[in-house]
Amino acid sequence: MVLAFFKGGSGDGDFDHIVSKSVGMLNDARHSFDLATMALLTDASPDTVAQDIYETDQRINLTEQELRSELVVHITVQGTTEIGSVLGFTLLLKKIERIGDQAKNILELAVNGVSLADGPGAEGRLAERQVLSTLFAEAAELLGASDPDTATIDDYAGRVNAVVDDYQAKIDGFMTSDEPGREVVPLAIYYRFLRRIAANLVGVVRTSVEPVPHIDYLEDGTVDTDD
Amino acid sequence: MVTRKLRELDIPGPIRSAIVVGLIYFFLVGVSSLEAGIKIMGEDTQERLFSTASNPIAALCIGILGTVLVQSSSASTSVIVGLVASGALGVDDAVPMVMGANIGTTVTNTLVSLGHIRQSNEFRRAFAAATVHDFFNVLAVIVLLPIELVFGVISSTAEWISEQLVGSAGTEWKSPVKAWVKAPVNGLKDFWETVGTSGNVQGVLMVLTGLVIILLALTLITRNMRELVADRVERSVNAMLSRGGGMVALLLGLVITIAVQSSSITTSILIPLAGAGVVTLRNAYPVTLGANVGTTITALLASLAASSPESLTVALAHSTFNVMGIVLLYVIPLARNMPVVAAERLADVAVERRTMAVAYVGFVFIGLPLIGVVTLG
Repeated sequence: MVLAFFKGGSGDGDFDHIVSKSVGMLNDARHSFDLATMALLTDASPDTVAQDIYETDQRINLTEQELRSELVVHITVQGTTEIGSVLGFTLLLKKIERIGDQAKNILELAVNGVSLADGPGAEGRLAERQVLSTLFAEAAELLGASDPDTATIDDYAGRVNAVVDDYQAKIDGFMTSDEPGREVVPLAIYYRFLRRIAANLVGVVRTSVEPVPHIDYLEDGTVDTDD
Repeated sequence: MVTRKLRELDIPGPIRSAIVVGLIYFFLVGVSSLEAGIKIMGEDTQERLFSTASNPIAALCIGILGTVLVQSSSASTSVIVGLVASGALGVDDAVPMVMGANIGTTVTNTLVSLGHIRQSNEFRRAFAAATVHDFFNVLAVIVLLPIELVFGVISSTAEWISEQLVGSAGTEWKSPVKAWVKAPVNGLKDFWETVGTSGNVQGVLMVLTGLVIILLALTLITRNMRELVADRVERSVNAMLSRGGGMVALLLGLVITIAVQSSSITTSILIPLAGAGVVTLRNAYPVTLGANVGTTITALLASLAASSPESLTVALAHSTFNVMGIVLLYVIPLARNMPVVAAERLADVAVERRTMAVAYVGFVFIGLPLIGVVTLG
């Protein structure tokens, strides 16, 4: 570590390293999401993917802790000029960590014996899963871009918010459904997890460009506290 | 991206490096001016001014107070080196002073830790990380000052090294650096002569000019070096966080402090990190010890502008004292935990009664040294 002092290059003075690790965390979260939904939406056994998902979640958590420490070091050494960026990154890391947790929650539905592989809407759920998985990839790409333009961010946010609204409509439907609880409750819970994942994906992308005071508020001005 | 930076306005690295080189020259001119000013004053005045320092405890207290006043052991030890070079202060009197400077310099990070006083847990961690440095330095003085007074271990070791490098005490050392700074120092002397001063008045004005130059140059050197090496410091601290403390952390503290020319900067970086829980007390502790040794580079640099081997001996005594302190109190496992435990206990007390923290700073860094100077000086 003493040699780290003598190494050349701009190194940790900028946030490139944090961005690159954040993108890695997001890719890990996507990996967990893909495995967890596969366990819930198909006949695949949850036991085969559980270990991988728990290890991935742990890796995400450790990376979050490590990067948070690095951000504190950054602000202590470099001064408060970049305090806005540091706060933004802290929030962004937390949102990615939450996505990992939601993926783990989906796995736990499957581990607890819930299966959404059969019945009405099974095909549609697999298609939705694919859409959301693709949105992960887009978020990672936007997060890693050196200077993404606002229009691209707005376009992405608009599409994900439409997905969020769709999930919410489904949740509302299940809440008032006359179907048996054992059928609709798991679905309501599942879509609630999806809704949170999608909302956090928008949050991740928005956090990378928005001023700190506006992060975590929905477009109509209400507070998005339901992490 | 959130990575928008305001660094575009920064001075380019090579220019900043050139500025630092210029400031080091300016600093050496300051040390040489101080030495010249004291020499102008004459032996009677020197005797009256520095007779207080003949008592080692009083000298220790002067070292603490002087360093607390300028908030920099680099500055105070450089002044001590200048005084020794002028012949006004002997090596034996100067060694307790540099020990005092070691204690005095820890006031800065202790003051920084008081900034966390409103949050109990944060304050406990920050205050313990700050006072572990105090306890180590006080303990080092308690152990090494009596040994030095009886056996002269530190001064004779430093003298031996000095002899190998530049010759024996009492001889004139033809330092090339001294020759480089001669012209501006003579210029200063001429300036004070042309405004009609002579004797003690001229000597005092030369000393004051030297002090201002030393303080200004060191402040600017530290500020510029911090900018120059900030990325490297950040990278090194991150590397330390991922791999823990120990001797490597000690070396890291040494390297960072040599780079920024200020132990206060190194240790003060650690305090917010300790407060936030990013660095543990046990990992912060060796970094502060490395900073203790690293800060002695400034006095060594100052001794290059001096004309006597004794000034180099004092600068080396500062380094020797800190290295011996580490060998006795850190390398030996039994002693290693003492400052840590003491700092943790004091932090617990300070959290219970916040006024105790303020009282501690006032008593250790101002009250006690003042009593020492007044009663023993």
